[in-house]
Amino acid sequence: MAHDDVEIADGVDHQVAMVMDLNKCIGCQTCTVACETLWTEREGTEYMYWNNVETRPGSGYPRDWESKGGGWESAEHNERSVGEIPSQQDYGENWEFDHEGILKEGEDKALKPENGDPEWGPNWDEDQGAGEHPNNYYFYMPRICNHCTHPSCVEACPRKAIYKREEDGVVLVDQERCRGYRYCVEGCPYKKVYYNAVTKNSEKCVFCYPRIEGEGPDDEVHPPACADQCTTQLRLVGYLDDQDGPIYKLVEQYEVALPLHPEYQTTPNVYYIPPVAPPQHSEDGESVDVERIPRSYLEELFGEQVNDALDTIERERAKVERGGHSELMEILQDKNPAQQYRLEVFDDD
Amino acid sequence: MTDAAQGRRPLLVAGLLAGLLVASAALVPLIADARPAREIPVENVDGSLADPGADGWSDVPAATIPLASAPSGVPNADDTSVRAVEVEAATTDDTLFVRLRWADSSTDRQTSSPRAFADMAAIQFPVNATTQPAIAMGSQSNLVNVWQWTGTGTTQELLAGGPGSTTAFEQPQVSVEATRTTIGEDGGWSVVFTRALNASVDNRTQLAADADLNVAFGVWNGENSERAGQKAVSEWYYFPFGPAEDGAPFQTILWAVAGIAIALVIAVTAISVRRAGQEAESG
Ligand code: SF4
Ligand code: SF4
Repeated sequence: MAHDDVEIADGVDHQVAMVMDLNKCIGCQTCTVACETLWTEREGTEYMYWNNVETRPGSGYPRDWESKGGGWESAEHNERSVGEIPSQQDYGENWEFDHEGILKEGEDKALKPENGDPEWGPNWDEDQGAGEHPNNYYFYMPRICNHCTHPSCVEACPRKAIYKREEDGVVLVDQERCRGYRYCVEGCPYKKVYYNAVTKNSEKCVFCYPRIEGEGPDDEVHPPACADQCTTQLRLVGYLDDQDGPIYKLVEQYEVALPLHPEYQTTPNVYYIPPVAPPQHSEDGESVDVERIPRSYLEELFGEQVNDALDTIERERAKVERGGHSELMEILQDKNPAQQYRLEVFDDD
Repeated sequence: MTDAAQGRRPLLVAGLLAGLLVASAALVPLIADARPAREIPVENVDGSLADPGADGWSDVPAATIPLASAPSGVPNADDTSVRAVEVEAATTDDTLFVRLRWADSSTDRQTSSPRAFADMAAIQFPVNATTQPAIAMGSQSNLVNVWQWTGTGTTQELLAGGPGSTTAFEQPQVSVEATRTTIGEDGGWSVVFTRALNASVDNRTQLAADADLNVAFGVWNGENSERAGQKAVSEWYYFPFGPAEDGAPFQTILWAVAGIAIALVIAVTAISVRRAGQEAESG
């Protein structure tokens, strides 16, 4: 077994995982569109973003998802916190735009929602961030389902219609068993399960499982579309328990890739390299030795471990600046797709 | 024993006897007045009562059945809002009609947004009509049929062998008509479930049985986000389809109570007489 010192869920052979380097995200939403095109262009899914990119600090998508509860009370995983279902307004409505008329038939009107005047929507507070000029700050955070090791969505379902599959720990909703009770929607503290009011089922990110299985038209293994299409190639995809892979090294060895909101206790398998922003400026434009993104804010997102992670990154970077060698810096800058997407390492198990 | 104590004994015995008689007499009108606990009368009718507003329903006796939150592992399981359902049942030669009426002032007919839940009602029968499976959706060895109406206008026929195990029959044989109605001073639902007495597929409850048919009820209030195990349910009740020669069950109970009273009187008398005899000998 390759995962002797890695915590993966009971009964799961290998745990698929993703690392996203927040220092590289430019908020272009290409990943969102890739996912939307592949999975959520069906009736009832219009409002769902299995992958969304939100501006931080910000209210996120769905609005204020961090205050809606869910997850576990403690690391013992014996008591769930009961969450709430976000309202349709918190997600944003399905606005319709007259692309056809304006773009093709040359109608002279503004391109804006035809049905209603929106007051909120996904990434409504884009680029707003926090802080005062000249030291305001923000960064982008792409979010998908974390395919958690202790998924509270799974525990919440009275029909066991949502499950963590054995081969790679991908969390899926069995569309035949689901009866649309939405306990998973309440139960996920990341609000990454969505209710389809047309099919009356819940749906969520499937980690592009047909792609990672090589079930596509070309019979080849591909990483999830959000990773494949990412303009800055900031995502690494592989198995947490592949000890020769970059994910294992970033998460377990260097401990610089961190789960979002570890206090929810679901043990996510999507990890983030925390953002390192340029230092603050003084009134007259001089750099001062104060971090622009307050550590306290990053601690809110990634827990106290973020301090060690940032210190490690800082230390390794300084090493390279002095002309030294750093495996960590190499991994973070690797452009070799064979290293970035290691999805076939356990194929002969 | 003192002389005074001996003198009081016959008085005590007489008092006890009188008490027993009063007690059994008091039970009689109570029992004779009520149907046997858990029986829901079934009226024979000529025409269809599938319409909840059909005139014929006024001749069908109603049973008011208390509901309580079902025990369940889902969050807020004990937060349910419907307290009782009025049940009426009627049969023609080949069809059963069951009308449920309950108070619910909010009309929840849709599930078309993340937080919207519809009102629902269900009737549960054991697949094997005369058994009493676990009340919470039966068990693997003792299945139940559930007829479920949803405010969205859908009706489902389900088979279940324990909580979380419901599967739907592909071709429902139950039809439902529902209307909003006035219950007391408030609004409510009036829902009629209709099914042929004869079931045509395995695992469907045969209603044309000549034994009492166990039945239970459940109601969900959509406005209160009630769904799945968060529901108000009854205990097992029954439709008296058993053979008439058995006599009405309340007579059986009456005879049983009378029998116990008589036996007690005989016992107490015998004991007193023997004690009195012993005391006379020893005294
Ligand atoms: S992120 Fe939410 S939906 Fe995804 S596995 Fe974790 S608890 Fe479940
Ligand atoms: S495609 Fe890549 S860079 Fe663009 S928003 Fe998505 S994660 Fe960020």
